[in-house]
Amino acid sequence: MGGAGRDGAGPDAAGKEQARLQARADENELIREAQGGSRVAFDSLVRQYEHQVLRLALHLTGSEHDAEDIYQEAFLKAFRYIGNFRFECSFYTWIYRIVTNLCLDQLRRKKTRREDHAVVLDHSGDEIDLLASVSDNRSFSNPARELDRKQLGEKIQAALVKLTPRERMVFELKHYQGLRLRTIGEMLNTTEETAKNTLFRATKKLRGQLAELR
Amino acid sequence: MKCELAHERIVTGAYGELPDDQAHELDRHLAECAGCRQEREQLLAMKVLADALPVVEPGPNLVARSRLRLDEALDALPAMHWYERVVQRLMNSVAGLQAAPLAACLLLVAGLGAGGLGGFEFAQNRAAHAAATTPALATAKVPAPAQATAAAQPEIANVASISGIVRQPGTEMVEVSYNQLVPRKINGSLDDPEIRQLLMLATENSSSAGVRDDSVGLLAAECRAGHSCQGAGIRDALMVALRYDRNAAVREKALEGLEPYVSQDVRVRNAVLEALLNDSDPRIRTESINLLEPVEADTSVRQVLYSVSTSDDNPQIRNTSRQVLSRVPEIQ
Repeated sequence: MGGAGRDGAGPDAAGKEQARLQARADENELIREAQGGSRVAFDSLVRQYEHQVLRLALHLTGSEHDAEDIYQEAFLKAFRYIGNFRFECSFYTWIYRIVTNLCLDQLRRKKTRREDHAVVLDHSGDEIDLLASVSDNRSFSNPARELDRKQLGEKIQAALVKLTPRERMVFELKHYQGLRLRTIGEMLNTTEETAKNTLFRATKKLRGQLAELR
Repeated sequence: MKCELAHERIVTGAYGELPDDQAHELDRHLAECAGCRQEREQLLAMKVLADALPVVEPGPNLVARSRLRLDEALDALPAMHWYERVVQRLMNSVAGLQAAPLAACLLLVAGLGAGGLGGFEFAQNRAAHAAATTPALATAKVPAPAQATAAAQPEIANVASISGIVRQPGTEMVEVSYNQLVPRKINGSLDDPEIRQLLMLATENSSSAGVRDDSVGLLAAECRAGHSCQGAGIRDALMVALRYDRNAAVREKALEGLEPYVSQDVRVRNAVLEALLNDSDPRIRTESINLLEPVEADTSVRQVLYSVSTSDDNPQIRNTSRQVLSRVPEIQ
């Protein structure tokens, strides 16, 4: 069973910690400049986080178009409210908090409209074959495996849709994005314990949904 | 340990969040409880199944499109007035001081003291000044508007940006420095580098589809006619228009202009492949297939044609793709 990480020891860990603190200091300087109105500084901050934001939004929504919308809204909000950032948490947590709230709103809207995206859609609404970007011709020589993989993906997606938006978000952040429960709690404005309980409920529901596939 | 607690710790442990001592305790429980061992197996199986929905890394096109859209939105935001910037800086300073209570208190006391003294001095000076200048002000105010119209004030139009604001202390006079757009015209040949540079800028003109349509059409015609499209970024401008322009007619012209380069330039080929996969207009997708036919032996082209032939919503496009694929022998 996995456990909490062991404490680092030796010069490597100290070096890493120093590098982390230096990076944080550099980032704080960028944030202060952006708060002062520097567009260049804000653009640098965007570059640092845009991939994570898009990756999360794309996987949650299954749509490039929706992921773009979330990216747009998140960074516009960040630009508008960066003056309110108080350095009480990391900028990473702050920006993710904005993104997760937007994603939660999106999930709630989809739940109301019952929109299910079993596959990833590009910006014009056409389906993206997840393996098309992989330079491996085996995917085209085995259509049956292609179909199985696609159907399995659809079933997983259908099971995820049955979670509440909050459960889906916690599961997404933990399982797919690999964040720690404490960080997830901060992002969702709750405690680590609550995030843990939500994860437990989500996995229990998913196990029930996916039992027939095993 | 009770099984209910064990079930919770199984989940926490499976995701690497269990402290070592609790992990050890759980291991001891699992060694004795078959039911909980099965629970763990089921959870691990669920994790494997969940991984069947992979996390897709955002492609460069998605990132580029998103950035472009964000840049446009940020550019369109109105610039903050100088007083809004001052207020925001004050708010930031206040917020920063919230984290330093003692410093905040000292600063507050010092600020109150300085402000009180300064206010007293200012009030005294203002009273003295008002007593000395009141008769003159009454007359100065009246002609002021007349003076303003009589003087050669520049016409405020086509303002590009405000570069500076200076207020003369103790007065209502403000000096504003601004940059002005100056409409100009230039005549020249399509081969003229300056004309080409302006046409390429026009392809990015986000406000007028007509201007973009004209510029892309002219540049595309130059390329099709075999005039030099190597340097000066004309080909790049056409590829950007094909990928990102919102107007289908503009994208279609860009596609036509890139036709001569599909065989020789891999970047152009990739841009056309993306149009085939992603463009919302079926005419553009059909035209892309026709452009790709001379290079259908290319593996990437075949992969995309295969994907389109099986999954495109438009039956005509699926049919056309299949026909192109069927004309070339199977590549081993």
